Amino acid sequence: MLSATSKLLLAGVLGTTLTLPAFGDGHSYGPFPITLKGYSGDKTNSVSYTGQIARHVQHDSLKKLAGSGNLAEMMAYFKGSKKNKSIIAPASKGDFKIKQTLLNEISSGKNLSGKSYKGIVNGWPGGLTGAEVLEHMINKAAEHGSAFDPNTGYNYPQLISKFAMGAVFYNQAVDNYLDEKLGPDNKPNNKPYKDGAHYTGKEHVWDEAFGYWGAAAHSLNLTAEQNYNITKMKDMAAADHNGDGVVDLKSEFNFAHAYYAASYDKSGKTNYFNTVTQAFVDGRKIITAANGEALTSAQRSQLHALRDVIGQNWEKVIAESVFKYAGSVYKDIDKLQTIMESNGDTTKAFATYGKHWGELKGFALALQCGKSNLGETAVKLNRMIGFGPVLLNLSQVTGIDSSGNFIKDESSGWDEYKLHMLKIQKLMVDIFAVKAKANDQLANISDLSAKLGGSNSAEND
Amino acid sequence: MDILNFLFLDSVFEFFDPKKRIFIGYILTSTIIASLWLIVFKKINFSQSIKKIFDKKIFFSRSAKSDYLLFFLNQIIMSIINPLLITQLAIATAIFYYLHSFSWLNSGAFNNTPEFLIITLFTIFHFVLEDFSKFIVHRFMHKWPILWALHKVHHSATCLTPMTVFRTHPLEGVIFTLRGAFTQAISISVFVFFFGSNVDIATILGANIFIFAFNIAGANLRHSHIDISYWKWVEFIIISPAQHQLHHSVLQQHHDKNFGVALALWDWLFGSLHHSEKISQLTLGIDINQKEETHSLTSLYFDPLKEILFITIKRIKRLKSTLKSKKHISIGVNR
Repeated sequence: MLSATSKLLLAGVLGTTLTLPAFGDGHSYGPFPITLKGYSGDKTNSVSYTGQIARHVQHDSLKKLAGSGNLAEMMAYFKGSKKNKSIIAPASKGDFKIKQTLLNEISSGKNLSGKSYKGIVNGWPGGLTGAEVLEHMINKAAEHGSAFDPNTGYNYPQLISKFAMGAVFYNQAVDNYLDEKLGPDNKPNNKPYKDGAHYTGKEHVWDEAFGYWGAAAHSLNLTAEQNYNITKMKDMAAADHNGDGVVDLKSEFNFAHAYYAASYDKSGKTNYFNTVTQAFVDGRKIITAANGEALTSAQRSQLHALRDVIGQNWEKVIAESVFKYAGSVYKDIDKLQTIMESNGDTTKAFATYGKHWGELKGFALALQCGKSNLGETAVKLNRMIGFGPVLLNLSQVTGIDSSGNFIKDESSGWDEYKLHMLKIQKLMVDIFAVKAKANDQLANISDLSAKLGGSNSAEND
Repeated sequence: MDILNFLFLDSVFEFFDPKKRIFIGYILTSTIIASLWLIVFKKINFSQSIKKIFDKKIFFSRSAKSDYLLFFLNQIIMSIINPLLITQLAIATAIFYYLHSFSWLNSGAFNNTPEFLIITLFTIFHFVLEDFSKFIVHRFMHKWPILWALHKVHHSATCLTPMTVFRTHPLEGVIFTLRGAFTQAISISVFVFFFGSNVDIATILGANIFIFAFNIAGANLRHSHIDISYWKWVEFIIISPAQHQLHHSVLQQHHDKNFGVALALWDWLFGSLHHSEKISQLTLGIDINQKEETHSLTSLYFDPLKEILFITIKRIKRLKSTLKSKKHISIGVNR
């Protein structure tokens, strides 16, 4: 006998399957038909973003390796390799079976270094470009040999991963594909993206941006919780859309910022994941509807509106992350101070603090890899976070020497640093209007203010 | 029309909000207490007591009618002014930030205090701070001529009803709102700074437990003609309704006494405590020969403004003549 819930689920699955049209169900990113004029090949689906998925996998694998101290291996995933490298992450875990085990099963010849932010990264010492910062971090991680370096407070896997997501995926999508490549003469829709391609210029530009976003093609059919659990590898049923028993990284997995969007949407206060993913689907439909002709200015305007929705919400997802980890760092310092006062062992709490700081720093640097210069906001953010976390002896990394080694100096102390964390949270609210506000250190104050309710009445007691 | 409807409803909601003095629950307990007091101490029967409590001459007096009007009109005026005022949240956040700049103060220093203790401490602290700040502000309202010009509106009531609480000039309302914002901000920011995220307030029906106790114990009778007094020693700690009624008396010896709201301790400490007296009928208001016009809306809203203007002009003139005479003296010295 089937339970009521199972019956409901079965009905839902059958209903969805039976009503799926041949191309696109309105809630999935593809498949979309071939619209390229004069195409005579046998392809039927014009969607293609395997290069982006390969980079997501390189990023996940690099993060996993960042604590190993193996420089050559790390570089193989960062700069690419002629060998067919194995996928270190995401790899099968228990019942959650991943279809691909080798990078070339997704796409070959890809790297992260060539697609990293080309501007100067002001929040990291040395006046380096995005690619150089990542390389510097990877070299330091290898030198140190493990994930966390108590001498600097750096957690390399977190720093590398969180910054790379911004420097590569976010930057490439919003500052390249959804920016100049949306121009009328750049990768036009009435020509193939490149010679021999089965998709048009604009189709592929849009697909590549979507690929960097990292959402699974069928993810709009799922809840935020399900999308979150796919990345956590806890919900095989939600991930395996075609029911073949394995999760295809090319279309059935949620990567990078899409995963963070789902994590905030779970709170019910935001809807970043669906907003961005739906905008991508809607944009792709507009391009498909142009049927291989050059886009009209009206169509481009529609795409620009969707591009803005994508860019703004993607930026908010990163700002929410900065907000969240500034709160974590504040709480971690509270804990550290309590332990220090009782002369306890700080090892574990200090490592946790370093991990959260790495996430904060990485996301803060990522936030500055968008389309526009954040100006004063970036300056405030970089100054308040500093080049390193405040260490137990109250020192802090303040720069690098000519050999690339970190220089430390006296910091302004714990309480000042905690105040910086509060101000960073406020900055994220003021500038980016974040709503999920995880780890809000002022939540108690606003809750109490609301509860006491002011005394806004003309009353003479 | 919608706005008027909304504002009218807002006024009506005050009777159903346990955070407000005129919550029907508090009115009911005040009536019961008053009735019992009259039956036990004035030796009258229940129906006589009810007649006495709801005395038509008082509730339909010109003074009381103007209280009712002010209640509705101020609701509209304050709903326009209040959004312009700084909120307790903004002040609390600023203080919370500021506390972080003292290196000798550790935020979260008492994070590990048991939650029930934090809540108890916060509830007591906030109640005491609120009551003290109300006392101090009230004292200034009487002592500073400009503020007295505003506060006189409240004292111009010649009959007291629970609605006299609303007989307040809007500018005085602004002062009270800011006082409330500052005290709440201090309590919240200081406690969250030292005790972390477990700070909360003990409430009954959403009202601070102490405020609830104060109100349910007949706080509405402060503004009434039922002169309930407490034992003398209690009147050193808590203000009885009779003590507050005396604060409204026209008699010279009652002037500037009993500024407190719930606690009499502040008056005791600052030398303004006056125990209740056995006077059969207090004359209430600003002076014995108070004119009927003082209850008109024009008078209630605009007389304080005129008075403030006169005081200011007088001060400026006095300042000018002082400066002039100083100039003469200095010229004389130079010669």
